[in-house]
Amino acid sequence: MLNRLKDIVRKTSINVCIINCGGCNGCDVELVACLSPRYDLEQYGIYLQNNPRDADILLLTGAVTEQWEDKLRRIYAKTPEPKVVLAVGNCPQSGDVFAQEGGRVNAPASNYIPVDAAVSGCPPRPSEIISAVLKVAPGAMVAKSQANREIKDDD
Amino acid sequence: MIVPIGPVHPGLKEPLRLKLETQGEQVLKAEIDYGYVHRGIEKIMEGKTWQKCIYLSERICGICSYEHTQSFAEVLELMAGEVVPPRAQFLRVIVNELDRIQSHYLANSTYFKSLDHEMLFMKVLELREYAMDSLELISGNRVNMGWNVVGGVRMDADDGHFKQILDNLKFIEDNHQRIVDLFSEGPVIGLRSKGVGLMTREEALKGRAVGPIGRASGLKHDCREFHHTYKDYFDFKPIWRKEGDNYARTMNRFDEIPQSIDLIRQAIENIPEGDIRKPIEIKTGYYDWRNEAPRGEVRYMCETNGNLIKNISIRTPSITNIDSCAKYMLPGVPTIADAIATYASSDPCIACAERVQITDKALKTVEIKDMY
Repeated sequence: MLNRLKDIVRKTSINVCIINCGGCNGCDVELVACLSPRYDLEQYGIYLQNNPRDADILLLTGAVTEQWEDKLRRIYAKTPEPKVVLAVGNCPQSGDVFAQEGGRVNAPASNYIPVDAAVSGCPPRPSEIISAVLKVAPGAMVAKSQANREIKDDD
Repeated sequence: MIVPIGPVHPGLKEPLRLKLETQGEQVLKAEIDYGYVHRGIEKIMEGKTWQKCIYLSERICGICSYEHTQSFAEVLELMAGEVVPPRAQFLRVIVNELDRIQSHYLANSTYFKSLDHEMLFMKVLELREYAMDSLELISGNRVNMGWNVVGGVRMDADDGHFKQILDNLKFIEDNHQRIVDLFSEGPVIGLRSKGVGLMTREEALKGRAVGPIGRASGLKHDCREFHHTYKDYFDFKPIWRKEGDNYARTMNRFDEIPQSIDLIRQAIENIPEGDIRKPIEIKTGYYDWRNEAPRGEVRYMCETNGNLIKNISIRTPSITNIDSCAKYMLPGVPTIADAIATYASSDPCIACAERVQITDKALKTVEIKDMY
């Protein structure tokens, strides 16, 4: 009973945290545009809470630079379960234009933390980001919390 | 007491570490750590043709991405001793000023967000979307446009585009004054902005502040005054203020928006017919060129080897502005909440600011330095 209630609440109230781990800022600008009255992320129950300890979803932007290699794991560990990582833009998937000789990036981000879903584009449009978050996030959060519960029951 | 803020923090939009030395709530000293977004763009650019480099220069900064491609194209054009056709120059002015409008609105919205004034944050972002629509209409994309090439621009615009852009600008102009009045006459937001984060003209000169941050402290310096297009065809005077506090910096950015709208109107009225692109032969040599990005002066120093780029050095405005923020604005700020607002008012863009990383192979140490 309580778990079902938790699942319903999880589907409709999602806090996201933006982590820029070394990109060009373009994806972060589009994420800010998602908050604007035209796109209005908050009408779907998604709130920008830029604190990893309170977040349900980590929005990852940027190719992983040298300084972020260990910090990315630490931030992931600090986020409470169940958590979902959504990679926004091409950078966390492939490194985009920075993954060339001379570039100091270590893409993809999935080398360091598990990435659940990704939106392509350099940068993706705000409507694409919102549809991706809405499609992936609520289902994934509930599935993860159920998986965690099964592990607990086995114990 | 030392209060560390960042790199991931609700008050900051980009990764950076602020160390504030405080006594009670008063900030005595501030220190800034860079290095979280260093990607090594200048190194990647070495030994490549301009067709490959212009996309990299666009991705130095996502907010003012247009101005970087224009500076990169102009440094190679002027090295060859040529100027692009007049129609391309006018189209560049239109997109440049549209980019300036959206960047200034974004900077002010982050300032209002850091003051926790949610309503102005939303209102400003709503107006910004109209500038983004115009940018998408004329160049094909919202952020990284890929619109400039060496020798001109990639796509032409016709009267239908111009009419739509003028309609969008009319909407921005109608609603702009109301938002400025909300900010300048509101008692709470005005009290929290006036007299906070002071920087005098001498300090701005010492810290080499540029752009709206320098102009708000009385440094009357705008690179558009020296640019050949603006000098030949446009009626332009830089806007500046004397106070040098958070209020002046925000108002200076607000005041530049009607000026940009006026420049776009002048460009659309007088745009000449003709080509938008001409072939340019890349010469061997060295050239440096300065341009006014939304955040201030951006300088490209480029050395070429016939076809390939031998060496390039890019000086972006953010690095000097963030530095003068840490040295002169933050010490003496009354509370920590005001310190975050002061930091946001200096319009920081960390993606621009990361340039040099020094690796000592013998000692296996990595040191990150800012270069001017």
